[in-house]
Amino acid sequence: MSHEREKRQSWDWDSPQCRAQLDEVFFRQHDYIQTGRTEHKEFWTFFERFQRFKTKKEMSAPKSSRQESHEGKSKKKSGSVDLGLPKDYDARYRINISVCSKDIEERLGGSEHRRRRETSGPGRQEITDCRLALLHFLDFNQKQSFNKLSKLRREQKSLPIFQYRDRIVELVRTHPVVVVAGDTGCGKSTQVPQYLMASGIDHIACTQPRRIACISLAKRVSFESLNQHGSKVGYQIRFETSRTTSTKLLFMTEGLLLRQIQQDASLGQYQVLIVDEVHERHLHCDFLLGVLRSLLPLRTDLRLVLMSATINIKLFSSYFNDAPVLQVPGRLFPIQVIYQPIPPEEQASRSEKLDPRPYLRVLQGIDQRYPPEERGDLLLFLSGVAEISTIQEACQTYATHTQRWIVLPLHSTLSLAQQDKVFDIAPPGVRKCIISTNIAETSVTIDGVRFVVDSGKVKEMSFDPKAKMQRLQEFWISRASSEQRKGRAGRTGPGVCYRLYSESDYDAFASYPVPEIHRVALDSLILQMMSMGLGDPRTFSFIDPPPASSIQTAVTYLREQGALDEHGELTSIGRLLAQLPVDVVIGKMLVLGSVFKLVEPVLTVAAALSVQSPFLRSAQHNPDCSTARQPLNSNQGDPFTLMNTFNAWVQVKADRGSGSRKWCRRRGLEEQRLYEMVNLRRQFKELLRSHGLLEDDMGRRTEPQDRARRRERLTERQKLHRLKRDHELQENTKRKVLRLEEGLEGDASSGSDGEGASSSKKRKDGAEQTVDIQEVKFKLRHNVNELQEAASADLSSRQQSLLKLVLCRGLYPQLAMPDEHNANRKDSEQVFHTRNKQGVVIHPTSVFASDPEVLHVPEHESSEFGADKGQSNRHQLLAFVTLLETNKPYVSNCVRIPALQALLLVANSVDTNADCSRVVVDGWLELGLTDGDTALKVISSALTLRGEWERLLQAQLRQGGPGSSAGLGLSGPKVSRRELEKLCEGLVRFLLYTEVSYSLRRLTGLQSQNLYIGPQQDPDLSSASVLSSLFPGMKAEPDPIKGGLRVCSYFTYNCLCDSKDLYSECLRTFWSCPHCDLYMPLTPLERMQHEVTCRPPEEQQPEEEPESVNASSSSSSALTRLYHCDICNKDLTLTSTEILKHKRQHLS
Amino acid sequence: MDFTEGSALGVFTCELCELSSPYSFYGQKPPNTRAIVLLEECYGMKDPFSPEREKFLVLGSKCCLCSKTVCVGTDCSLFYTKRFCLPCVRDHLHQFPEQVQNEVLRKKSVQKMSAS
Repeated sequence: MSHEREKRQSWDWDSPQCRAQLDEVFFRQHDYIQTGRTEHKEFWTFFERFQRFKTKKEMSAPKSSRQESHEGKSKKKSGSVDLGLPKDYDARYRINISVCSKDIEERLGGSEHRRRRETSGPGRQEITDCRLALLHFLDFNQKQSFNKLSKLRREQKSLPIFQYRDRIVELVRTHPVVVVAGDTGCGKSTQVPQYLMASGIDHIACTQPRRIACISLAKRVSFESLNQHGSKVGYQIRFETSRTTSTKLLFMTEGLLLRQIQQDASLGQYQVLIVDEVHERHLHCDFLLGVLRSLLPLRTDLRLVLMSATINIKLFSSYFNDAPVLQVPGRLFPIQVIYQPIPPEEQASRSEKLDPRPYLRVLQGIDQRYPPEERGDLLLFLSGVAEISTIQEACQTYATHTQRWIVLPLHSTLSLAQQDKVFDIAPPGVRKCIISTNIAETSVTIDGVRFVVDSGKVKEMSFDPKAKMQRLQEFWISRASSEQRKGRAGRTGPGVCYRLYSESDYDAFASYPVPEIHRVALDSLILQMMSMGLGDPRTFSFIDPPPASSIQTAVTYLREQGALDEHGELTSIGRLLAQLPVDVVIGKMLVLGSVFKLVEPVLTVAAALSVQSPFLRSAQHNPDCSTARQPLNSNQGDPFTLMNTFNAWVQVKADRGSGSRKWCRRRGLEEQRLYEMVNLRRQFKELLRSHGLLEDDMGRRTEPQDRARRRERLTERQKLHRLKRDHELQENTKRKVLRLEEGLEGDASSGSDGEGASSSKKRKDGAEQTVDIQEVKFKLRHNVNELQEAASADLSSRQQSLLKLVLCRGLYPQLAMPDEHNANRKDSEQVFHTRNKQGVVIHPTSVFASDPEVLHVPEHESSEFGADKGQSNRHQLLAFVTLLETNKPYVSNCVRIPALQALLLVANSVDTNADCSRVVVDGWLELGLTDGDTALKVISSALTLRGEWERLLQAQLRQGGPGSSAGLGLSGPKVSRRELEKLCEGLVRFLLYTEVSYSLRRLTGLQSQNLYIGPQQDPDLSSASVLSSLFPGMKAEPDPIKGGLRVCSYFTYNCLCDSKDLYSECLRTFWSCPHCDLYMPLTPLERMQHEVTCRPPEEQQPEEEPESVNASSSSSSALTRLYHCDICNKDLTLTSTEILKHKRQHLS
Repeated sequence: MDFTEGSALGVFTCELCELSSPYSFYGQKPPNTRAIVLLEECYGMKDPFSPEREKFLVLGSKCCLCSKTVCVGTDCSLFYTKRFCLPCVRDHLHQFPEQVQNEVLRKKSVQKMSAS
């Protein structure tokens, strides 16, 4: 006994050595809890608490133990069945777990004698204490987990949909299509997939309109189905998937399922498809329903479940042959509706700013009526960003005054960090006032909202097919949206909805919003339909067919873009474009860029143009941001600025890793967008590779890397994976509490560089948790060195001009020309014209908005007088990505291009008069070239280059088709590297060195109506036949509509009404070909065509180039250009005629 | 990764509260837990809330008196050297020590309070 006591005194529970000795007993390598794991740490924390608790109890023990024994006696008296329970209560008896570590104890026991003499080491008592604590710890953990489980099950049971559980499974078993209709909060999105999974169905796909919903639902449902650490439930979105072979339930976007149908028309991998939120009527969803409807007869075993709010249910049911409908009541608390129409004197006229008074009155009313200790936030719906900032300003003033509100904006152009703030909690006595677009109607759900203010307005995108322009217009909302907004007030308790319109307004609203398919351009949809072989889009049975004119516009557009041929069939490029999950124009850029070995920059530009701009609007007026951004700007155009930004970011990533966050903040960049770009870029690259348009970089991969570096990379990846896992485990962190001044910072914080913003996010414990998870994912997904290599290669001016041409051909016909008077206007009043829309302006975010001079024709270069007025060789056009009308029609994402050269190389319709001095492009742009001879030469080179470009492009596409063996790339048999280099050289020379003065103007409506001579009664067939016999490559035929001669699909000669037509025959002049013996009277066209084909094949008969020619040609002329002779391998400056002469020498 | 997925032996359902969940072991020895022994025959599964594969969770067991299958939730059963469902505890309340009696009585009053 004395020994024990002695030892006890020397035993110190807090000493790491003593603990380590017990670790040796209980937490060995194969034990349930192992030394070093988090649970092990938790145990020792628990142990300390447990010991304290025990000591406290021991002090008050004697009294209770006496009572207990007394009670024990009374027990025995009345008991009918003896349960044989121990008399004295011990908490130990409540635990159903025991831990055997006898082996160790015995060993220790055996050595007891020896150990006693030493002063340290755990004795029996210590082991018993530790074991007891361990048992309590295990029991505590069991209770915690079980409580989680039981809470989860309780919540599931309390959902309105729970009682329909068996009914749903039964209906799905017996019907091919079932409609489940239920309002907000009924639990359909989380529960229905689980019910089906629990019923034994192993292959379920559930589509969602939004990517974010896929991730959050997969997370929630895997938790609820007790598989949060497994992969039975997964998601798949554009860049990310958590799917494995054991995945039974997959949440995915509608677009992605459509892509899967493109690969596998029967969708054999799924037994049940759930299409959620069908009532939202998104374009993809409507289309998906159409496709599935035609798939059902072919897959009789397939089951389809449509889930919808209780809106227009009949439409869906009858579309699927009167499918059964299961209606589930929602779970909403009562909501009081108050109509507060805006009085006429406070109604803003179109041009004015919104009057904030009606909104402020609501805030005041709430402050008067509801005590601040009654919690509940306010959600205010406005139509757009401008409206939000107006009201936000007014509310903020009120909030600063009353100290009772935190005003927070919410719209999609905010940085994600700012968007995230709406989920944080207001301090006691303060309410959040969230001012939002309709994003909070469905996409973003905020708990704790008690008051809703509904302006009744929404801004919606519509498409104007006539002007080929998107339009963002303000509309009254529908009754369905109105109800949806109201419902946001009753999610967590009873609420109030203030409608700033009258009840009669409400009654006059449309019942439902206009489905997207009626509002947007259908180009991509039609393209996808064609590639899926769904037949004529006009006869496809949509749930609600789009207007025929919309389809026609799309078909015409696709034809203009070269995706469909004149019969409406897919072209080879069209087939490829249909596979790319991007806009047609972006897809075209990718394909064209890959042909020209401009893959890396084109990938970057295409990715950048496919995501939201990384430049935060709020930072635009911050001078520090503008200064920091300055070096990234390119006056070539916005795509180049984006590319510079991306490249610079990649450099920062490679050099400083997560320092990029700060770098972005300083420049007012949303880093998330850059991450999206880099992901998209990679996806594009893989797509191009799988279509054989990109050489496999096998060479690089097989490069012998030294083993050390490889191992280094491997350990790094393992580390990153661990970081990612740890992050995922910690993700359910608590929301932080907002500060009262939170709303004030707003815009400023996004631009400021202080660590303030980030340090408030940092949590107390340890640096590990501040890990930038985006950075980790980035490093896992991408090879930074490879990216850096691609990003650091500066574009030469040749590459730059080629890239511009590629962008221009991709974007064509989205071109705008500067108004001729722009040079005399203020920067802010620069006007542009597109073919279908006059008077468009450049969006203020564009580089050209702040630097419009680069688009002007330099004054000294353009002649001011007489016939030469407006003549210059510096005319430029803008190719643009979007034309969107808000309060003005804006073009954004523009790139500037040399007008004449670009038009001749990309336009679908080039018409000339007899001497080619007048060129009309696409019926709206007129180019006037005074020098007919030069005009001819320019057009002739353009024709040759285009012919060659087209030929190589087609060859490349044929090679690359999905059926071909991959990796043929540029070294394939049909397209030689040399041919390509020659073409590039030719195009660059044409773009940069065509020295020709011309005028550029837009035709008036009347002029473009009377443009053509029309079909001639006596077409000049003789000259046509002469031409075609002379030049078998080109078949010139009389054009049946325009008149004149159609030389190729895009070029018609001599069809323009113009005084010179009458004398076209007189234009024949005697001409001798410089390198064949031809000498005869020829029209300009005949000369041109002869020149094109009379070039001797350069590869033949190599011969020394006489020096004399080189010398004689040095006389500089406006027509000379750089010519590289492949035979004598020299760079020469020659006129076209001299070039022909030069070539001739090689022949003779 | 998913060793434990799909290895359910059946579905455990509490006869009192109807809580149910698939179970993957039954007995006194949870799999892969070297020194741990349960003092009753239990229905259990891999702890779904723990990322570690070998962590287990006891769902419930049979009442030693009436043999009803009950969950370990405090509203359905308690363990005092053996498993008792709460109805049986109430029937033999006097045989339990004071601490347990108080606990059960307190529970009753709370239930009454929330019911009224």
